[in-house]
Amino acid sequence: MVIELGHYLVLASMLFTIGVIGVFLNRENVIIILMSLELILLSISINLVAFSSFLNDSSGQIFSLFILTVAAGEAAIGLAILVVYFRNVGNIEVDQINKMSG
Amino acid sequence: MFPVLLFYIFSLAIIASALMVIFSKQPINSVLFLIFSFINAAGIFLLAGAEFLALIMVIVYVGAVAVLFLFVIMMLDFNPDTIKKEVGKHLYVGLFIGFILFLEIILMMYSPELFSYEYQIVGNTVKTSLTNTEILGNLIYTEYFLQFQISGFILLVAMIGAIVLTLRHRDYVRRQIVSDQVARDPKLSIELVDIKLKIRK
Amino acid sequence: MGSLLNDSLVIAPELFLIVSAIILLMLGSFKVKNSAKIVLYLSTITLFFVSFLELIMPWDISIIFNESLIENSFSRFTKSIIFMSSAFVIILSSRWLIRYDEKAFEYPILILFSSLGMALMVSANDLITLYLAIELQSLPLYVLASFRRDNINSGEAGIKYFVLGALSSSLFLFGASLVYGFTGSVEFFEISKVTSYSEVSAGLVVGIVFILSGLIFKISGVPFHMWTPDVYEGSATPVTAFFATAPKMAAMCMLVNILYGPFADSFYSWQQIIIFVSIASMALGSFAAIKQTNIKRLLAYSSIAHMGFTLIALALPLSPSNIQALLIYMLIYLMANLGVFSCIMSLEKSEGESVKDISDLSGISKKYPFIAFSLSIFMFSFAGIPPLAGFFGKYLIFRSAIENGLFLLAIFGLLISVIGAYYYINIVKVVYFDESNSSITKSSSKGLSITNIACTIFIIFFIIIYTLSPIAELARLAGISIN
Repeated sequence: MVIELGHYLVLASMLFTIGVIGVFLNRENVIIILMSLELILLSISINLVAFSSFLNDSSGQIFSLFILTVAAGEAAIGLAILVVYFRNVGNIEVDQINKMSG
Repeated sequence: MFPVLLFYIFSLAIIASALMVIFSKQPINSVLFLIFSFINAAGIFLLAGAEFLALIMVIVYVGAVAVLFLFVIMMLDFNPDTIKKEVGKHLYVGLFIGFILFLEIILMMYSPELFSYEYQIVGNTVKTSLTNTEILGNLIYTEYFLQFQISGFILLVAMIGAIVLTLRHRDYVRRQIVSDQVARDPKLSIELVDIKLKIRK
Repeated sequence: MGSLLNDSLVIAPELFLIVSAIILLMLGSFKVKNSAKIVLYLSTITLFFVSFLELIMPWDISIIFNESLIENSFSRFTKSIIFMSSAFVIILSSRWLIRYDEKAFEYPILILFSSLGMALMVSANDLITLYLAIELQSLPLYVLASFRRDNINSGEAGIKYFVLGALSSSLFLFGASLVYGFTGSVEFFEISKVTSYSEVSAGLVVGIVFILSGLIFKISGVPFHMWTPDVYEGSATPVTAFFATAPKMAAMCMLVNILYGPFADSFYSWQQIIIFVSIASMALGSFAAIKQTNIKRLLAYSSIAHMGFTLIALALPLSPSNIQALLIYMLIYLMANLGVFSCIMSLEKSEGESVKDISDLSGISKKYPFIAFSLSIFMFSFAGIPPLAGFFGKYLIFRSAIENGLFLLAIFGLLISVIGAYYYINIVKVVYFDESNSSITKSSSKGLSITNIACTIFIIFFIIIYTLSPIAELARLAGISIN
């Protein structure tokens, strides 16, 4: 019994799906949406590492290293925007983000 | 056999904690489960032979990103009890989109050869004398030099952005001005006054 | 690395942009007095200079930095347009910015970095560079969307744009990881080699679909357009002007690059998607715009519709004239949009409050005849009325479609543009024939008027400019270099 590429891909796609569901589900709480985005990026990293190991090619791991860097920057910006919004409104419920509609 | 067992343990832990992240009511719990899933992902990476990434994952995510999340949750200090969980409203949309996505991906991967012996991941180690870290280090400063520089600019932009959005100069806060403190000299700040004391007898 | 110097010389304009952005950042943070004003002027000059530099650099193909970047006439031409429109946006914003906050020198610097990201997007030649360039372009945009920190709508626009933008980047990434896995490389040349001699596998197709859905978000094509009206409305008007111009151009060119580059051999797998997105964007943009009362929402739907028209050219098999039509259409779209925003920003409701509703514009022709005149010129151009620029853009696109046998798509586009004409001409009616609204005052500045006049001249005399200036020739060269 061995672990093949397919196992990794199924794991990554399950994690990706959970992340996407999390973005649409937690409309009450932006901070959990940001965490779901991190989960999605994690699933992509798993995909890349599995392919990289399977292809015996390092560029997949390099790609996932850069994704890690960008994810850190993105989290910082996302949390900063959240802080700005919180200061104005006093809560972080996306459902109340209905000032504009259409 | 042992790595296979490890793989299943790690994957189960990742999936379970990812579900806890999105369904948990308290954001603090979500962050802790996020950390747990990242640590398990590091295990998965180790099994696939990506040692450097596994360790950097723990350092960057658990050490920096998750702490940032915790910090913001503490700073914003919102009351999670007031956030009403109207799950029913968006549950169907979310599940529908998720189901479609998952179906699409699984259909794509319905090719039995992906699960055959030639597609083995664990145990498929690169046969070089270099370690994983050395390989990545060699590549990142030569072949991926440009990308490395661009990622530096991305971090710079993230820094500028975070400062622009959150830094506020309040007039009523008294700040330490180091240059003023250094530039002080005794002549300006200390005045010697002759006090004529009358000595009473 | 003996070739590092040569490689650097090829991207000299970008390097100049980077160096000046960093110098301006230092200048802004250490010089406290008038920092915003000085940084604004210098960054405008930098962008114009870089735009000019792109035109005079050698236009032949060069592949640099280990095949990570490719420079050819297409990338030179489009980058020149991108830098120019960013420079115009900074000119437009200057008055607003200085009044908003005299110390906010970060605004032009974020625009500079975003333009750098766009330039790299256009010339990226592997998936890693492309991803990093997209992020470098969009992170400043997230910040700009929520730039007015004390305004609730602005923060809301920021959150919406950030969450959906990050989600679309993740879709792109997931697709990129599949493409990497099923072709074995992240380099565009390698990918196109693999796709040309082997059958397209199911995994690769799913990867392409994911990549496309991530990229269609960036041009606000229809299934992924929901963010556009809200973000346009919530952001400050100069920021909206930026969203509507340069990033759209960059994303469209990137789409050209990636579809006709690595995925050229899987044309039949993505053509249907592009046709669907094109039709849906045209229809939704035109119909949803009719009932809008807010100008910025109207412009958002209008930009969705225009992206639909542009995508017609992308749904055709590769030929230089199609690419030429696409580039000319985008250029006209950018100029008309800059013009409209300069008109809107020269009017204000009360002190410091910009006009919001279409009804605010009623009867401005009596007070400010030139603004009313130029606004209606832009609206007629959007609608595609003959002697103006917009007509020629649409003509070129529809001609390409008919030449390639896509009659139905061309006819559909024609019908939709008639519907679109309704709401554009409605604005002209409001401006000229409605009861005058006395509270509107003019708040024009030199920069706004210069932009307005330049765009008006470009739109009215487009046919003369097109025949006399080398624009057509440059766009043709750009079209030839894609293969």
